[in-house]
Amino acid sequence: MSQRNRISGGLVEGGKPLGFSFNGKRFEGYAGDTLASALIANGRRLVARSFKYHRPRGIFSAGSEEPNALVQLRRGAHQEPNTRATVTELYDGLEAASQNHRGSLAFDLMAVNDLLSPLLSAGFYYKTFMWPKSFWEKVYEPIIRASAGLGRLSGDEDPDIYDKGFLHCDVLVVGGGPAGLAAALAAGRAGARVILADEDFLIGGRLNAETYDVDGMPGSQWASRTVEELSSLPNVRLMTRTTVYGAFDHGTYGAIERRTDHLASSNGKPRQVLWRVYSKRAILCAGATERPIAFGNNDRPGVMLAGSVRAYVNRWGAAPGRRVAIFTNNDDGWRTAHDLAAKGIDVTAVVDSRDQPALSHVSGAAVVTGGRVIDVSGRKGVATLKLAGGQSIEADCLAVAGGWNPNVHLTCHQRGVPQWRGDIAAFVPGDELAAGMIVAGAANGALTLGAALRQGSDAGATAATDTGHMAAPGSAPKSEDEARDIAAFWHVGESKRRAWLDLQNDVTVKDVQLAHREGFRSVEHLKRYTTLGMATDQGKTANIGAIAVMAELIGKSIPETGVTIFRPPYTPVPIGAFAGRSRGKDFRPTRLTPSHRWATEQNATFVETGSWLRAQWFPRNGETHWRQSVDREVLQTRASVGVCDVTTLGKIDVQGRDAAAFLNRVYANGFAKLAVGKTRYGLMLREDGMVMDDGTTARLSENHFVMTTTTANAAGVFRHMEFCRQCLWPGLDVHLISVSDQWAQIAVAGPNSRQLLQKVVDSVFDISNEGFPFMACGEITLCGGVPGRLFRISFSGELAYEVAVAARYGDALMRALMAAGEEFDAVPYGTEALGVMRVEKGHAAGNELNGQTTARDLSMGRMVSKKMDCIGNTLSERAELNREDGLALVGFVPVDRTDKLNGGAHFVSQSSDATTENDEGWMASVAFSPSLGHSIGLGFIERGTDRMGETVIAADPIRGRHIEVEIVSPHFVDPEGERLRA
Amino acid sequence: MPEQTLTASSPLDGFDKQYAEVALAEVSDRALVSIAVPLEGETALEEAVAKAYGASLPASGKSTMSEDGAVRFLGTQPDQFFALFDFEGNDAVGAIAGSLGQAGYYTDQSDNWAMLRLSGPLSRAALERICPLDLSPEIFAAGSVARTVMEHLGVIILCEEQDSFLLMSASSSAKSFLHALETSIENVL
Repeated sequence: MSQRNRISGGLVEGGKPLGFSFNGKRFEGYAGDTLASALIANGRRLVARSFKYHRPRGIFSAGSEEPNALVQLRRGAHQEPNTRATVTELYDGLEAASQNHRGSLAFDLMAVNDLLSPLLSAGFYYKTFMWPKSFWEKVYEPIIRASAGLGRLSGDEDPDIYDKGFLHCDVLVVGGGPAGLAAALAAGRAGARVILADEDFLIGGRLNAETYDVDGMPGSQWASRTVEELSSLPNVRLMTRTTVYGAFDHGTYGAIERRTDHLASSNGKPRQVLWRVYSKRAILCAGATERPIAFGNNDRPGVMLAGSVRAYVNRWGAAPGRRVAIFTNNDDGWRTAHDLAAKGIDVTAVVDSRDQPALSHVSGAAVVTGGRVIDVSGRKGVATLKLAGGQSIEADCLAVAGGWNPNVHLTCHQRGVPQWRGDIAAFVPGDELAAGMIVAGAANGALTLGAALRQGSDAGATAATDTGHMAAPGSAPKSEDEARDIAAFWHVGESKRRAWLDLQNDVTVKDVQLAHREGFRSVEHLKRYTTLGMATDQGKTANIGAIAVMAELIGKSIPETGVTIFRPPYTPVPIGAFAGRSRGKDFRPTRLTPSHRWATEQNATFVETGSWLRAQWFPRNGETHWRQSVDREVLQTRASVGVCDVTTLGKIDVQGRDAAAFLNRVYANGFAKLAVGKTRYGLMLREDGMVMDDGTTARLSENHFVMTTTTANAAGVFRHMEFCRQCLWPGLDVHLISVSDQWAQIAVAGPNSRQLLQKVVDSVFDISNEGFPFMACGEITLCGGVPGRLFRISFSGELAYEVAVAARYGDALMRALMAAGEEFDAVPYGTEALGVMRVEKGHAAGNELNGQTTARDLSMGRMVSKKMDCIGNTLSERAELNREDGLALVGFVPVDRTDKLNGGAHFVSQSSDATTENDEGWMASVAFSPSLGHSIGLGFIERGTDRMGETVIAADPIRGRHIEVEIVSPHFVDPEGERLRA
Repeated sequence: MPEQTLTASSPLDGFDKQYAEVALAEVSDRALVSIAVPLEGETALEEAVAKAYGASLPASGKSTMSEDGAVRFLGTQPDQFFALFDFEGNDAVGAIAGSLGQAGYYTDQSDNWAMLRLSGPLSRAALERICPLDLSPEIFAAGSVARTVMEHLGVIILCEEQDSFLLMSASSSAKSFLHALETSIENVL
């Protein structure tokens, strides 16, 4: 039984046989086949079960509009459900399986649903699963889930890789049919940069499916010659297997290119590439989709679109039937009859719904004008048709020609509304198109070949001219304009049997009638209530018929009834393709500190802080809990010296004659009088008076400062300052540039920090307490001449410095410091110890600068200078921010020192319940202080500074812990600051 | 004299790989110094650059070369240029300030950026996967420069010559940037 329905001719390569399997059975097809054409060539009619009623279904169309022939492709983790056989290019070894049945495809146990169909009408779920409520999750949902969906996901991670990219062109041509080819040719010859994208693997569109001549040669030959010429033009890029799925703003289009779906294996290359195409002009040549007519049992396998039957015969040399009947409402149906007859296929009847003389003689066919098919028998494939006049017609395939719908989808993605054209009984693009879009050919309602070629050519020339190129006039390819008269005919009223409108969602004429009876008058409501037009085909063959039935019911015209909104994507795009390569660790970039390699060698545990990876602590042998490492790092730093990479802090170089004046305005505290060679803590407010960020700024020379920001706000502070510079005070001579990555910066803290630094800082620099006092800064050299910067600042509260060198020396500096520090038992410390020490010292950090707090809350209200103007100054004076019972940052210790404090706990007085009304503040940061031997915290509480010694409750209802805490000074260690000035 | 010495290392350890039709290599022998134009000081800076280097200041998105071809000036934004030049040593700012004096404000950017050169016939195809800009030769000709974003990372891209691009991205995330470029190359090979 080898390819028993294969006939001569077509564009498949008979010399290249390809083996494939369907439901485990081996078949053979040819290169150039789709899975659908190969199944047809092999005589397979039943290929699927329908969504709801599990009705037997066959191949219905020959393109991306296919509602029926959805299959599961490939195996294992590569398994892909709901793949349309009609656009699946055949490859050797392809494995496909039918889906949505229990038991075999031929004997689907779920077909019982078809017998229950009176119960499963539109709105079935809404009506049936209303009560009792207790059944919703336990009973109904599992039942619905078990029977929902079509194919099955593998459940494994997608093993394929995906990529994305960016393309630019003068003219994007969407679709490579006659109009698209003519457009690309006109624009390409004029020298415009053209991208022609076609969803098919063979460019040509209907030219490959028809028998028309263009420029005196067969259309398919003209198509391939045109492709050859376009390929030879360096300014033209042809993209096959590429669907332009969406029209976005400003001439931007989304396209999905299927790179390896036609291969047995993707060989480690991206399976699909999602392109963002920037175009100056876009010519939509998406063609048209044929639509069916609804009549009784019109979903039987073997009932197909007439143009698709023609395509299988002409392009793929595959006969969907040997005795084919035709049911048409337009001239195009007759074309199918002639093409089939020319291939020696029996045409048993041509039934034309129009009451007019036969268009032509079709040998051997019964011609019934003014006729209607009311029923089709043959459960697993068409056998007999019954006409309204009572005749029965034998056929194994029924080709239905209901007219053609222009593919207007992309014209609607920017809210364009299609317009009705009575002469072709179809919607065409509306007047309002996306910027730069032109529509040509069948997509524009030019449903004849000659017109499509002319429109395409004109559009190509226009687009080329619009983009500054000279187009040669009047060079459209020549062809005939075939007969295309139509009399709108949507469904056969006499049919007693269910007549399908939406094959994919099992929506029938009766369902639309029921929806109407139940009050659903808007097409959008109709869609949601019946599920019409949903799922993978998005109603490409269904919508118009349903709108027509709806229009009849409500007594309005089709344009008055309206259409649902087309949204991207035009055809399904895998989520994996949208994700592209942004998976796992590649989801976002990682920033590494200059000492990262060294820290890795020390077995550091890393923590993500924004996109940075920072050493969190450095476990040593025998340490089994992070606290052991952190406690050791803190104690050793406070006892001798610790070293920590603080490169992640934002660093901004500020230069200019007005740099000091500028800093005076962006910081709340004064900087104008900061002496050269000094560093100052700076507090930055937002316009609304809340604290934005803090840091230190050093004055390296009269007009040169270097600012540090918190790690998290580095980019935000830079952006804010650029805004201030460019927009608020363009008259100031001040210039900013980020140097965050330029400098490796390492904190050296602890009583022995100076001694350690004296071993690496070149001895010509006096860094004694007198020569380099607290808050000093200066440019130095290290280790024999390497330039660096030294800042005597302290986050830990110890005698401390930060030393900076060019990033290239960062790794070396860390190693040098550790080597030089050996005699002091220097310890590297991570972000956790850093955090513990700053809490011990009572320094505010990110948890306290959370955007909800003011300088006053942080007990830094007096820093906000009232002698000068600065951002946030005025609004910080709002009464609400200055209430007497306002928050204050204070310290907390557990009354029972063995208790552990929790960050995020809220404070209530001892006599109050833990309710929102009684909330007096919150615990912002907590740490176990190894210096004190118990848990400590920093938090905000109303009137905190006046309440020292008071005991309140730290209520933590989420974690179910309420503990007594005592309000203390936030400075747990060295409150007088003697150490850092030592 | 301190016992310790400091040895420089580059962010990508001198990465250098030749693929079919495309090469990717770290560039670590160049200095990059930003030159900010003082308010109302453009003419003075122009004159200084012309005198010292025989070059004009480039418009944003363009670059110019010193007469001797040693220094390239990149137009990065309206009041800012970058000077790019072969350099060994630690005082790149001094090298520029020595020639231009006080005509501009200078900041060393050499270590702020990792530099990679992507060259060969496939380089545009590789960049197409991550670079949102139009890099076709007629739009982005040799000498063109742009600031853009690739894979969330800020990038300065310079077309040094047909099919050869110098790419600069933050040194801290250089490994992620390198990975993005390697992936792009492998995906188009």
